[in-house]
Amino acid sequence: MKIKVCGMRNPDNIEDISQLDIQFMGHIFYEKSVRNVTQKLPEKNGSHKRIGVFVNAPYEQILETVYFQSLDGVQLHGNEEVALLKKLHSAFPNLILIKTFSITANFNFEETLPYEGFAEYFLFDTHGLHPGGNGITFNWELLDQWQSRTPYILSGGIAMQHTHAIKQLKNKPDVLDINSKFESSAGIKNTALIQQFIQEMKSKYSADEAGFYGEFGGAFVPEMLYPNVQSLKESYKKLIQEPSFQEDYKKLLQDYVGRPTPLYFSKRLSAQYGAKIYLKREDLCHTGAHKINNTIGQILLAQRLGKKRIIAETGAGQHGVATATVCALMGLECVVYMGEIDMARQAPNVARMKMLGATVKPATSGSKTLKDATNEAIRDWIANPTDTFYIIGSVVGPAPYPEMVAEFQSVISEEIKKQLLEQEQRNTPDYVIACVGGGSNAAGAFYHFIEDESVQLIAAEAGGLGADTAHTAATTFRGTVGVIHGSKTLLMQTEDGQITEPYSISAGLDYPGVGPLHAHLFQTKRAKFFSINDDEALAAGLNLCKKDGIIPAIESSHALAVLEKMTFKKEDVVVVNLSGRGDKDLETYINYFGF
Amino acid sequence: MNRIDQKLAQSSNVLSIYFTAGFPNLNDTVPTLINLEKSGVDLIEIGLPFSDPLADGPTIQASSTQALANGMSTQVLFDQLENIRASVQVPLIIMGYINPVLQYGVERFLQACQRIGIDGLILPDLPLEIYTSQYQELFEQYNIHLIQLITPQTSEARINAIDQVSKGFIYMVSTAATTGNTGVFSDEQQEYFKRIAAMNLKNKQLIGFGIHNKETFDCATNYQSGGIIGSDFVRYVSEHGIDHLEKYTKKYR
Ligand SMILES: Cc1ncc(COP(=O)(O)O)c(C=O)c1O
Repeated sequence: MKIKVCGMRNPDNIEDISQLDIQFMGHIFYEKSVRNVTQKLPEKNGSHKRIGVFVNAPYEQILETVYFQSLDGVQLHGNEEVALLKKLHSAFPNLILIKTFSITANFNFEETLPYEGFAEYFLFDTHGLHPGGNGITFNWELLDQWQSRTPYILSGGIAMQHTHAIKQLKNKPDVLDINSKFESSAGIKNTALIQQFIQEMKSKYSADEAGFYGEFGGAFVPEMLYPNVQSLKESYKKLIQEPSFQEDYKKLLQDYVGRPTPLYFSKRLSAQYGAKIYLKREDLCHTGAHKINNTIGQILLAQRLGKKRIIAETGAGQHGVATATVCALMGLECVVYMGEIDMARQAPNVARMKMLGATVKPATSGSKTLKDATNEAIRDWIANPTDTFYIIGSVVGPAPYPEMVAEFQSVISEEIKKQLLEQEQRNTPDYVIACVGGGSNAAGAFYHFIEDESVQLIAAEAGGLGADTAHTAATTFRGTVGVIHGSKTLLMQTEDGQITEPYSISAGLDYPGVGPLHAHLFQTKRAKFFSINDDEALAAGLNLCKKDGIIPAIESSHALAVLEKMTFKKEDVVVVNLSGRGDKDLETYINYFGF
Repeated sequence: MNRIDQKLAQSSNVLSIYFTAGFPNLNDTVPTLINLEKSGVDLIEIGLPFSDPLADGPTIQASSTQALANGMSTQVLFDQLENIRASVQVPLIIMGYINPVLQYGVERFLQACQRIGIDGLILPDLPLEIYTSQYQELFEQYNIHLIQLITPQTSEARINAIDQVSKGFIYMVSTAATTGNTGVFSDEQQEYFKRIAAMNLKNKQLIGFGIHNKETFDCATNYQSGGIIGSDFVRYVSEHGIDHLEKYTKKYR
């Protein structure tokens, strides 16, 4: 949840609070408020958005204040009409508009309807003596009646003691607006208390400052990589929050990748498995898999960091192709490392990368597969610390990569939420199922549901010939805690700590580790892990071909195979993330089924 | 007093050699140590092989792969070294990666080092922050020095932080690269050597990565206390074996 600190006016206090991990700061421009701002605010320092709060102020006054105080957004806290929002929007298309509603016991949420589509957020505040700042909460259960496309900000008397209750809310706010209960005197906020609140509101499933998800993650990198990893860590969150970044990213996802991808209700799978089965169609993304959501994000970052040369690792070649594609798009040099054995196994993807202008370098060390390609990419990065950006292909590697890649993939669950609301009149499913290699498509499909324990998260790992055989990639079943590619996680290794070569018929799941987020989800039992063997996956893949006319990637077939292992209730809503299309796997399907 | 500290107090042109344990043959570890000491080497780094050595170049990785195939493991290495202090007196450092140490158990690993007479460890993928927050106390309890790396890109503030925590010496990586480079040191690199010397750090420094002849070794001892040779030596033993190492080391002195 995002945090908005409201009622700020003192310059030193503004400076202190700007240092915290907050997303919005509110300044009140209303004479009758004790927190009314009467002077020019200091220059903004921090990545938060600056919001001006107005109560029935005339349009011209708002306009002037937006200019004079360099506001990023406006919160309309009185009885403003929709027309005013429209007028403000046409004057400042990028201005964040927030409309406040005071909630009484018999508030009619239909009052919000006319504002739908014109406000970026609705803010629900307690109805009281004053237009705001009454310091008391309203009955939050009322929120359960309300459903809308517009996310909301919860406000009114929020205090330290409410952290638990907020986490229990069924209809969760996007933003928490805190004010009087965090003050040492009117308008002066207590920095340490707010810091504590932010900490408590942080999920137990998100990474901490040092990039650890519980026990897992971190940045176990040699000193040669420290400056690179550190500068990425310091800059990426700020950079990706910038409006120009968001604009470029969203535009490319829409016009180039083809998002939003459909959430397709499969009638025949639903009949077969006795539940409402939906497929999230990442296979329809440009280049044929979810991988490009991430490479688009990272290439925009690389550009903004002034990097000239891109490197990547690839196993099956999907991430390599997705990277070569965005490098072609942006005109950047691209070097992809690929295990020598994989280059032979995945020749068509090698050719695709070359056609896209990338140089494919064989990794000839060790086992000559994905893990060695990753080693080579990291070595390249060590040798080229200033001009080169390393685009990692999954939620693996040193912090901040796992967190960053998950964020770029989170568009998957963001869309699922909206699409479910339209199709099922609810914004959460009962189950989300995804395959896990490194774990990026699963991280994206789980992302917005992780906090909501009513959604069951299901991960499908590659069992290969069987999780109890030597030929498997079932990392959570067979792995132990260790460090691979700069991250502490579960991985397949010998007793002596040598990393072993996994096996799966699916080249994209053939990785000896798993991202630290997934190790944490496994260890805390937040997600349930299934091990799916080669034959189970291929059978499930062929079933989808026959039932729905969709040839899935063999990776995604592992997720489909989970359906066979579960028992559902008829009304259960199940989303399977179809991470990629199967064209690249035709030869494997052909050889296996003997077509 | 730790043997590393003693050595660095006496000598200002320390010749330090890295070799991969169990390479070329599994049982070459102990004779290599004895022969290196005989040939006048001041300090020895014993490479504990790892399947995925990120900071190493192709030469050392290939030797590690071979050593693992020969049967080398953490336990085998400790068994081989059990009585090493009866025959070898120079300071000994084990260089490896964090994962095998974690699997052996950090404390158990340090105990074995102390019992055998290992003086320090180099673990390139154990960064400063994780070392200080999780392991420093244990290392100090067993009087094992963790030697930390700096590179030309390391900021001054961070060098100072590393110097505060370091014991033994600071391992100065000569260049932005993995091990195994074979050129001369550029003016830019020498500027870096000078810059670090001028910082008057608490710990002395040894330079590693790219030392392979008298010229590069002398250049390293110009501003710092010595040099560390790795890939060039590994390449030598893979061609000539481990019997006459004085033939190799004489090129530096
Ligand atoms: C279609 C598809 N799905 C899944 C994966 C596995 O990666 P991740 O677990 O990061 O989603 C890959 C990797 O290449 C892939 O191509």
